[in-house]
Formats: sequence, structure tokens, C-alpha cells
Amino acid sequence: MKALKNIFGNFKRYSFLMNQLIMRDFKVKYKRSVLGVLWSILNPILMMTVMAIVFSQMFKFKVDGVNYLVYLMTGLIMFNYFSEASNLAMTSVVSNFSLINKIYIPKYIFPVAKCIFVGINFVLTLIPWFAIILLSYIGLGQYACPITFSYIFLPFIFFCFFLFTIGIGLFLSCISVFLRDMFYIYGIILTIWNYVTPVFYSLEILPTSYQAIFKLNPMYQFITSVRSIVLFGERPSFLTLGILFLISLCVFGIGAFTFKKKQDQFIYYV
Amino acid sequence: MIQAKNVSMKFDLGVEATSFKETFIHLFSGKKKKEKKDFWALTDVSFHVDKGEVVGLIGSNGAGKSTLLKVVSGVMKPTKGSVTVNGVISPMIELGAGFDPELTARENIYLNGAILGYSKDFIDEKFDEIVEFSELRDFLDAPVKNFSSGMTAKLAFSIATVVNPEILIVDEILSVGDIKFQEKSKNKMMEMIMGGTTVLYVSHSMESIEELCDKVIWLEHGHVKMIGETKEICNAYYLEQMGETKEESLQRKKEASLEKENKRKMKKEQK
Repeated sequence: MKALKNIFGNFKRYSFLMNQLIMRDFKVKYKRSVLGVLWSILNPILMMTVMAIVFSQMFKFKVDGVNYLVYLMTGLIMFNYFSEASNLAMTSVVSNFSLINKIYIPKYIFPVAKCIFVGINFVLTLIPWFAIILLSYIGLGQYACPITFSYIFLPFIFFCFFLFTIGIGLFLSCISVFLRDMFYIYGIILTIWNYVTPVFYSLEILPTSYQAIFKLNPMYQFITSVRSIVLFGERPSFLTLGILFLISLCVFGIGAFTFKKKQDQFIYYV
Repeated sequence: MIQAKNVSMKFDLGVEATSFKETFIHLFSGKKKKEKKDFWALTDVSFHVDKGEVVGLIGSNGAGKSTLLKVVSGVMKPTKGSVTVNGVISPMIELGAGFDPELTARENIYLNGAILGYSKDFIDEKFDEIVEFSELRDFLDAPVKNFSSGMTAKLAFSIATVVNPEILIVDEILSVGDIKFQEKSKNKMMEMIMGGTTVLYVSHSMESIEELCDKVIWLEHGHVKMIGETKEICNAYYLEQMGETKEESLQRKKEASLEKENKRKMKKEQK
């Protein structure tokens, strides 16, 4: 109980710093760009347009019975969040070594701040995402997306997804201190992970024997749960939601534990 | 206020050289196969600093002064022993480490303040004081990357010294900027040290140590060589380092300058 109180006290004390670090990232990101934060919304729209044209027109990809545009965009924004946040979180500790070496700051602040920063961006991308869903609802494209009460489960899924990403980010940022090769290794892992996750294709095009293995991928589970809500208006089963929560809690726990265990040694690897 | 008990700090000098394989093995097995070069930066250092005391830390380069400061400020955890600190520490070790060159001076005041552990209210309240002291009011909305190094240092100094710290850690009295600001910053630091707070002060200037400190710790090769009253320790330290006492050295300097003067006179007369 006391440890918990300590953690929250610590969190409160450094929340202003967290705030400043996140604001810094925003300011630096959009410094001197004319459209500024608008890019957070424009970028996914443009990206998605390109992807949609490439996959649906050139490669003739489609997923039977659903609105492919929404299908694609859901996968895209979620995977993009994950890859950007985990990548930035991974480099955050090493790139702030000059600070860590001089002043006492709880080190978890850096990866967590990055995950929140990208998270805010993610929330902004939900605006064009929802706009597309609305358009399909009123009749754009072949299949309409129902908007139902199951939407109330979206925040819960996103919360788990966020927790999962922080866990991975903490773990990677810790490992990369001792093993700088991780920066490059993870780049490759992410590419593989991207193709293994059905972002622009459907698992049904694969042989059944493979499908079971692919379903073990947590990213698949996250994306599929969100898709089942927005594409079919179906609430994922409570079992699925429970599993998602457990997975994210475990990953977060492992990440936080590793980080806590190893953080005092960071200073020797500056 | 500060209590250090048998603090030892070990560095592994071989750490830079580890290969991919070694690190990988080390990471998962936790076993150390190769003999490592250990370097003890601090061995068995114990001392305490009472509230309101100004304690000086002297010793030659590499004696472990900065490491000790880092251990006290919590940047490093000691390998052995423990440090207990009651109160909030303001480290004045490095200036401007937290600046982001892309941001304006105004934004950097908040960012750097947050890094130093200030609250938002505190910065809001002290904002004008910081700006006034830094003499940079006209450049508040310019990005720091366009600042000269002197201007950056002035800004950093003004942010770092705006606090009334409970415990102050000072690694040399800093004087930055132009002549006028150097004087001003030096006075400001003196004022902070003399202001009744608890201070841990590292310096190579015997004059300022003697002037400011109530107590001195002399570190040598990571050991506490002597600890005690300022005058006594400073004299002993000076004797060992320079091979003569302070009075002797003063005398010698005086003679040398007299001799120089005489030579100059002789030259003039020859002309």
C-alpha cells in the first residue's frame, strides 16, 4: 500500500515534467510547419488514401462483406501508433543520457512521455477515422458500418492497447541501453511484425493451419477487436476483452519490472 | 541532513569493450565469464552534513569528488553503503543540460525548470525574476539555437539559481557570461551558499573554500583522507599538493615578483 502511495506521489510530483516533455515534442514536431497540428489529422488521411488506392485498385485486395476502407484504416492507425510509440520510447532513454547523467529524474518518465505523446497524436487520428466510418454509415462504399452501443468498449480496448505499448516501450528502452544493436534489430522486427499482422489483408487468405499461429499475435487481437466493433457493430466477447486486458497487464508488468530492476545500472552504460 | 555511511562506488572499466555476444550472454545468464577491470571511485566514504552547514570537498582530479556529488544527488546508486538525504536537493552541477535548441527561451525556462524539479506555479511566480536576472528580455521568443554560448549560459544560470534550495550541491562557483555578468553570477552563488542552507561544495580554489566552508572533507583516490575543521585541512592539503605551506608559497611569490620588478628597473636604466 505504501509502495503504491509512493508511486503515485512520485507520479504527481513529476507530472509537470512529463507535461513539459510531451509539449516539447509537440512544439518541436510542428515547428515552422504552416499547418502545424493539422498534420496529425491530414497525415493519416493522405497515407490511407495512398494505401487504399494501392491495395484496393492495384492489388485488388478486398475483404468480403466489410468496408475495406475502414478495415484498412483501423489496422493502419493502430499499427502506426504501436510502431511509432514503441520506437520512440526505445530511443528515449539513450537519447536523454546527458540529463540522466546529471540530474536525478525518474527514468521511466522518458519512455512513458513518448507513449503519451504519440497517444495524443493517435487520438487526433481517430477524428478522420471516425469521419470515414460516418461516411460509410451514410452510404459511401458498398458496405455500411453500423454504429452501435458496442462503441463504449472502444476506450477500454484502446486503454489496454496503450498499456501494452508502454510495456513494450519500457522493455525495449531498457534493453537498448545495454545493447545498442536493439535499435536496428527492432526496426527489422517491426517490419516483420507489420506483415504478420493483418493490416491490409485478411487472415482468411491464409491456410487454416497458419491462421491459428497468426492469432497468437497480440496486435492481431487488438486490431480485430476494434474491427469487430466498427465493421460489424459486434461487441468482442468478454473472454476476448479479458484476455486483452490480461495480455496488456502482463506485458506492462514485464516491461515495468525489467526497467525497475535494471534502471540503476543505466548510468554505467552512458 | 545528509548522512553517508560506508559509501563505495565501483565502475567497470571494461564495460565499453563488451561485444554483442558477451552482452547478450550477460543479459540473460547474469554470469560474468571474463575477469573485469574494476575501478573503485569511492571506498568506504562516511560523513554527515548537518542542517545549515557548508561542507567543502577537496581533492585532486579523479579523487572521486564529482562521483560523490552524483551519489548524494541520487544520480548514481552506491555499490555499497547508503546515503540518506532529508530534504530536496538542488543540483547545480551542470547548466543548460535540459535545453532544447529548437524551443524559445520562454519555453526553455519552463522545460528546464521542470527538469530541475520546479513546479509550474513556482516558475510562473519566478518567471520575471529569471528573465530580469538573465538580461535576455528582448530575446525571450527567439529559439535558443540562435543564442550565443554566453547567452545560453546566462539563461541556464538564471533558471538554476532562482530557487531557495533546502540542500544545495555546487561543483565550483560558476561565473558565466561577460565581465559584468560574471561578477553578478558569482555574487549570486555566494549569496546562495551563505544564505543559511545546507551546502555541499566542491572547489579547487582554496581561498573560496576557506572563506565559505564550516567543514572540509579531503578525498584522495576515493578514500576520505581527512575530515574536519576548514583551516587545518586546507593547510594540510596545500602542503601535500604543493610541497610547501601557504605562507612559504606566498613568500616565494612575493620574492619572485620583487625580483621581476628589479630586473625591469635594470633594463630601463640600461637604456
